[in-house]
Amino acid sequence: MEIRLSSILLVAALLSGCSWFHRGNKGPPEVVAEEPQGEPSIVEPQVTRRVVKTPKIKAKDFEVGAYFGALSIQDFGTNPVYGVRAAYHVSEDIFLEGYVGRSKAGTTSLEDVFPDITVVSNSGRYFTYYDLDVGYNVLPGEIFLGRGRAFNSALYVTVGMGDVKFADKDQFALNFGVGERLLVTDWMAIHLDVRDHIFETDLTGRTKNVDNIEATLGLTFFF
Amino acid sequence: MRRLLALVLLLQTLHVGLAEAADKYLVLVVTDPYLEMHSGPGRGFPIVYVIGRDELVTVLYSRTDWFKVRAPHGQEGWVRRSDLSRTLLASGEPAPIPPYPDFASHRWEIGAGYGVYNRENLVTTYADFGLTSSLDVEFVVQQAFGTLDNRYIATIGLRHTFIPEWKWFSPTAGIGTGYQFIQDVVPPAPLQNNNEMAYVSLGARGFITRRFMWRADWRHYVVFNNQNVYEDLEEWKLDLAVFF
Repeated sequence: MEIRLSSILLVAALLSGCSWFHRGNKGPPEVVAEEPQGEPSIVEPQVTRRVVKTPKIKAKDFEVGAYFGALSIQDFGTNPVYGVRAAYHVSEDIFLEGYVGRSKAGTTSLEDVFPDITVVSNSGRYFTYYDLDVGYNVLPGEIFLGRGRAFNSALYVTVGMGDVKFADKDQFALNFGVGERLLVTDWMAIHLDVRDHIFETDLTGRTKNVDNIEATLGLTFFF
Repeated sequence: MRRLLALVLLLQTLHVGLAEAADKYLVLVVTDPYLEMHSGPGRGFPIVYVIGRDELVTVLYSRTDWFKVRAPHGQEGWVRRSDLSRTLLASGEPAPIPPYPDFASHRWEIGAGYGVYNRENLVTTYADFGLTSSLDVEFVVQQAFGTLDNRYIATIGLRHTFIPEWKWFSPTAGIGTGYQFIQDVVPPAPLQNNNEMAYVSLGARGFITRRFMWRADWRHYVVFNNQNVYEDLEEWKLDLAVFF
């Protein structure tokens, strides 16, 4: 009985040992589908795929330029003004605009009549402002010059706020404007603007809101 | 006058020359029965030319929703975005007209607005960079106009948008730190001209149109000074912004 059991175990051990020796082989080799002899094999293309790079479309939504004109500083006469402007066109109707300008005030009538009186010091006569506006093209259209030429144009309104530094003091100023943009070419425009800078001041004795209206002519470039 | 004219002509040729130098313009194939070319970049400008089906159109540049294009025979005009997006590349793929940035996941915001800071008028500007669709870093530079002083404030902070997918109104909250510079207007002069500050904010933002959006913010500032009691300031503001 014992011999029989041990012989079974021996056979089992031998069998397992044989299977252990076979472990390295991964079963029978797979049958590879061979191409039928005589027919030509498919030629592997040796060209690499060409990467087609599509050019990007340039957006020309920014407008930058300068302007020059006259600013009527309430109680201080009308004086030359100059400045720079930048705008971003959000849609065909709306644009955002910022500008910085400067002028130098003249004398008040009081100072003219009584030369000894000084309302504002000499350095304080500089009227420096910046404004941040939102604009709307109200009346877009074309302007005709003779028979053969048409220029794109737009009448726009702007509203915004900013800082006016006058008499050495910074004041919060609202501003309202109306302007005409005439595109000489699609990348260059002439602007005619009228703007009012309104702020509160007590320079001439009592506190009041002053209107400082400017009319300017500007040139801008789109990029 | 003649010199000015010569200058303008010179500028024009220079500009055209520069534009031609970069000759890699996008060329598309018209698939609609015809493509309408307007005389200007706006809905009211008249149609001055049409390009027929299977003809090529060269896209020069864009302005807002309009694309300046050139027809096969050299005529130039403006084409609406929606019309141009129905054209194809020569390979048959759809035209690569860049879409508007998605409002929910846009990267940059640049804006400006009005506010009230410590009961003073405030002009505010900001730039904002989205780290994720809901977490942003914001930089704010603003000027407050008071009767007693004039303040310049610069802050940097983090802002969280709770539900960025809500298009028209989505609440936000933020924290940050900053700096204020006080310019004395009426005596007595402030004890300190420069202060560091910290703030918490609650706000909201929403979409208006195209790339245009609004943002409202309420902030509570704590101004650090060398006195016993820190100064508490409040601010609210409304901004209009462009996003990219």
